[in-house]
Amino acid sequence: MNLSQTDLFAAGAAVVAVWMCGLTRVKTQLWGLVLQAALLSSICARLAMAEHYNHLLVLASAMFVIKAVAIPIFLGRSAASMGITSDRGANVHPTVTLIIGCGLLVIGYFLTPHFEVPAMLNPGSAGMSVALLFIGMLLMITRRLAISQVIGFLTMESGISLYSLTQTRGMPLLLEMIIVFEVLIGVLIAGLVIFRINRSFEHIDVTHMRGLHD
Amino acid sequence: MSNTTFFLVVQAVNILLAPLLLVGIIRKVKALMQNRVGAPVLQPFYDLAKLLRKSQTVSKNASWVFTWAPIVGLAVGLIAAVLVPWAGALLPADWAVATNFLLVIYLMALAKFFSMLAAIDTGSAFGGLGASREATISMLVEPTLIIGLGALALGTGSTDLLTIYSAPINPFIAVLVGAALVAAALAELSRMPVDDPTTHLELTMVHEAMILEYSGRSLAIIEYAVALRTCVFFGLAAQTLLHVWPGYQDMAMLSRYLVSLGTLAVFGIAVAVVEGVLVKLRWRSVPNFLAFAAVLSLLAALVAAAQI
Repeated sequence: MNLSQTDLFAAGAAVVAVWMCGLTRVKTQLWGLVLQAALLSSICARLAMAEHYNHLLVLASAMFVIKAVAIPIFLGRSAASMGITSDRGANVHPTVTLIIGCGLLVIGYFLTPHFEVPAMLNPGSAGMSVALLFIGMLLMITRRLAISQVIGFLTMESGISLYSLTQTRGMPLLLEMIIVFEVLIGVLIAGLVIFRINRSFEHIDVTHMRGLHD
Repeated sequence: MSNTTFFLVVQAVNILLAPLLLVGIIRKVKALMQNRVGAPVLQPFYDLAKLLRKSQTVSKNASWVFTWAPIVGLAVGLIAAVLVPWAGALLPADWAVATNFLLVIYLMALAKFFSMLAAIDTGSAFGGLGASREATISMLVEPTLIIGLGALALGTGSTDLLTIYSAPINPFIAVLVGAALVAAALAELSRMPVDDPTTHLELTMVHEAMILEYSGRSLAIIEYAVALRTCVFFGLAAQTLLHVWPGYQDMAMLSRYLVSLGTLAVFGIAVAVVEGVLVKLRWRSVPNFLAFAAVLSLLAALVAAAQI
């Protein structure tokens, strides 16, 4: 299988996601999100240059501003205001999560030839976006704090937008922009909810939220 | 001048000068990072000359292992320095059989085994502590090295370092393996995030605790062998990363050699900057750091396996 340059960028985003699996510090995980979003928006910009789709350039800059700048700053500030620095993981240690994440990336990679898409544009990227989706779920399952689950959700979302970018090229600009802004609104709402949880429970540890409270 | 003669001359000069020069550069840049003037770049040469003139003190409880371990270390370091193409100058092709990467890595392990034995030999508490930590680190580093170089070997279908580094390498694999090798080299050479080479604090010493009992000529040999190993490991990582650059393959031997030495110097500066900025990891989080390196080489191996 030959990898194009877009595939290499997608693989870079997936490797960053695997790296995030092994991290415990929330701040470093946010840097991982920044890297992922930057790689994704550069894929978008490269597509725009290659195919002369000017609307994709708008999308690329919107993705960069929102997903690589606004959301990480917002999450970093809310983590700082709640006094959160690290997430030691629930049940599974982050180092074990790292190895599982590596396995998921491999599964994504080997799944690639089995996608039955009529116009397979960048075959490597499809596998990488599936891997991102899996790794995002893994991050959501294995982490303890509610804020890490938002990070996992954003990784999943990166996988979806990577798939839509590299496999379908016909999405209208309006739709793509709506998705990007929806993610922003979703994260803002999640941030507010986490803030409220922190105020009423004095922690945001989801493993302690199984039992009912009075 | 034939290729072989060129190689032998170049490699002899390399082996004599480059390791201590690299150590000097690292120390100088580190001093500059800390707002000190620092010792001159040639200071390691002066130190070595002075240590070689001094007499050594050997504990009366020490056995032959204590006196022979530095020499084994030096011999292995020299063999590795000749076989590994760390300075970009490639051996003539008929040497390829000897440059098997498994041979090189396990020769290094032999030297390490002897230095651990020597550390335990004198019966001092620090020696045992350092040796046990060194054993743990090298056990954790070994899979990274083997899997990473194995990934490169899968690409070319040969385990000879000579064949591996004279063929083009897939840039994605080269980046992954290069990053893994850098992290593994930092741990293997007892450098900053894993071990502080300048520390003499009992709780954190690893390498320093092992060589605490040495003095005079033996200490000089150990310091030189460590510098040589530093060159070989960083050179291996640098060669892997240089293969990302497509023009590097087609260069003439001399320019390849100069570019490699330049990269090695850049590596030294980078290591010094990292040592100035980073804090040392707690001993318990060293396995986490090495897990990242292992995962990088594992990914490289899987990409390589998928491409054959």
